[in-house]
Amino acid sequence: MSAMSEDERYRTSTQYRLWSYTPSSLLALRTTTNQIAADRVREAVRRIREARNISSADTSEAENGRAKSVGMEGLVNGGGEVDCLTVEEELKLVEFYCRQTIQLGDHLKVPTDVKATAVQYIKRFYITNSLMTYHPTDILKTALFFATKTENHYFRLTKFADAIGKTKPEDVLASEFLLTQGLRFTFDVRHPFRALEGAVMELQALAKGNVPALPGGGAVDGLRDMERRVKGAHGVAREYLKTSAALTDVYFHFTPSQIMMAAFLIADKELVEWYIGSKFPPSQEGMQEKVLEVLEKCADMLRTVAPNSEPSAAEKKELSGLAKKLKKCRNPEKMDLVALQRAKREGDGEDEKIVKKRKLERETSSKEADDLFGPAIKKEQV
Amino acid sequence: MMRNGSASKGLDSNPSDDICPVCKSNRYLTPTLQFLINPECYHKMCSTCVDRIFTSGPASCPVPYCGKTLRKKGFHKAFFGDLKVERECDIRKRVGAVYNKRQDEFETLLDWNNYLEDVEGLIFDLVEGSKEDRSRAEEKLRAYKERNLGEIEANKRAGLEEVEMEKRRERAEKEAARQRRLAAIKEAEEEKMDVEKSRRDVLEKLASGEGDAREITEMAQKIVLKKAGARKTANESMSNGSRDPDLAIRGLKKKVAPTTEKPYDPFGGIDLTPSRYVLQDNYESEWLQDAKRNQQHTAGGYSFHEYYARTMFEAFSGLGVFIEDEVGNKPAPAAPSNIGTMTAAVAKPKIKQEFKMELDDVF
Repeated sequence: MSAMSEDERYRTSTQYRLWSYTPSSLLALRTTTNQIAADRVREAVRRIREARNISSADTSEAENGRAKSVGMEGLVNGGGEVDCLTVEEELKLVEFYCRQTIQLGDHLKVPTDVKATAVQYIKRFYITNSLMTYHPTDILKTALFFATKTENHYFRLTKFADAIGKTKPEDVLASEFLLTQGLRFTFDVRHPFRALEGAVMELQALAKGNVPALPGGGAVDGLRDMERRVKGAHGVAREYLKTSAALTDVYFHFTPSQIMMAAFLIADKELVEWYIGSKFPPSQEGMQEKVLEVLEKCADMLRTVAPNSEPSAAEKKELSGLAKKLKKCRNPEKMDLVALQRAKREGDGEDEKIVKKRKLERETSSKEADDLFGPAIKKEQV
Repeated sequence: MMRNGSASKGLDSNPSDDICPVCKSNRYLTPTLQFLINPECYHKMCSTCVDRIFTSGPASCPVPYCGKTLRKKGFHKAFFGDLKVERECDIRKRVGAVYNKRQDEFETLLDWNNYLEDVEGLIFDLVEGSKEDRSRAEEKLRAYKERNLGEIEANKRAGLEEVEMEKRRERAEKEAARQRRLAAIKEAEEEKMDVEKSRRDVLEKLASGEGDAREITEMAQKIVLKKAGARKTANESMSNGSRDPDLAIRGLKKKVAPTTEKPYDPFGGIDLTPSRYVLQDNYESEWLQDAKRNQQHTAGGYSFHEYYARTMFEAFSGLGVFIEDEVGNKPAPAAPSNIGTMTAAVAKPKIKQEFKMELDDVF
């Protein structure tokens, strides 16, 4: 009989295995993503310019039309280097669009965990993808739609698109696979909301004083006036989890349990210190201090975005400036996701060959599978 | 004989089965033809031939090159159509009469099995062996018989006694069963008579007009019920008493109660008991007040205990996981994370090639 502790079980989750970073490694990832994307944008713009210079007036007219339609005329026509977003600017914009996602969620009246999951999808997606490549207004709809599915809150696609307004179902579905791939096919997001309910339930029970804090332990002495304090802290912590936890990077750096405790810590420090103290006996050397230290760090991160706070006027101005800047440095080849998706699905020229080849492969493999001894073992291609 | 003939016909309808090899008389002409054999040499001949040749005393076997001296007394009908089988059975019978040890004489099962194998080897030599093998085996058998005469006799007697005991026991059991059947019939008759009698009593009482009619019937009902109850208990005690010695089947091995199988554990023995909290059966929660009161929630199979277990688990799952310490050491999972942009960056700046290289990319 091997025991599997709560921590051990958390380590099996994809959130821990794939989506937990140290602040420095996260920044490094984002920086590489930003640089690569910027290079790609410059490359794509140069290519379009070249193509235009070479081609005749007729085609350039058509090219012009396309560029115009997406508001890139100035960029394509004008000379000089493209002015790309920096990592910090991208981060600010992502946060802005995360707020927008929450607002959209409010508008659609979806539960909190759907909104929180959608925000995490966006955050995860933009670790390895840049805003310059894929615009967040497209992605956030898909993310929210995915979140309704993964959080078990059914929302019919057509109704979903209608409710958002000015959106067709194709728009939502266009970046479907793109987002899935960006999420590395992991849809599980562990939230601290349910954990908060658990902690509150136990604290209330502890306040009544008829429950042991640890297995094998006796009842513990609660704090004075504990029931009321727990109730008060519950509300505050919940607000922090709803917005601050979603909009900051805590999900990447801390576990849901720690995030929950940190939110509690902001609300009532003494209570959490007492709670952690009762959970880690002195025999576990240093654990208590270490956990509290981590919680403090997490709480600091949560405090950077106060719940229900709106960006200040200056910030708003900066954001609109950034949005304009983003418009100018978007990758012209990835603008119209719907068209790209359609092209991919229908398969043009180049693609057709591949489709045919794949079909042939499929046929032969299925034929081989019917053989008595199954298909031949494939040789490793070097 | 009929059985014999038909059996051999069934096997392989050999026409020579119907002809006496000595006098060549045919079943077709003499339907009463009967074949006899002598266990000395197992040569088949018809009963007429046996009478003709051996009535006047021992004579040699009429089959060419056999020459065994046979007596009329030794002839009998073959039980098996195949004379080889007949012979083997005879040999087994003969050897079994000499090697008649029983299992409880041996100390271990292995010894018993070794003994059985020895005997089987001897029998095989006698049945299938060459002439030397046979004579050697015969010699061994004889020597063993001489040396162990006393034991063989004792075992023989013990075996006979056992058979006798078995027969007696069977008879006793049959008798007991008959007795039970009779008792049951008698019982049923008595009950019938009783009911009859009480009914007659009631009718008489009612006819005489003494007392209240309803009271009388009620009384009678009670008496009938009481009697039936008494009979039942008596029956039960009797059947209980008779169950022990006679009904039990003898010779069964003592039963060992099978160890109760543990329920299936989907987690393969992993202990999931929480280490940071003690899960209670009930928690107070404002959230759940309505749900607890409303039956609609639990009707669909919603279990509060599940909810408690999940919330409490999530509250403490990962509290002691320090990502900064743990993830810092592990290699950055770079490869799959950069599918989109990385591959594109590697792509050579040729437009056509770019398209192909982006196969990994979604668009």
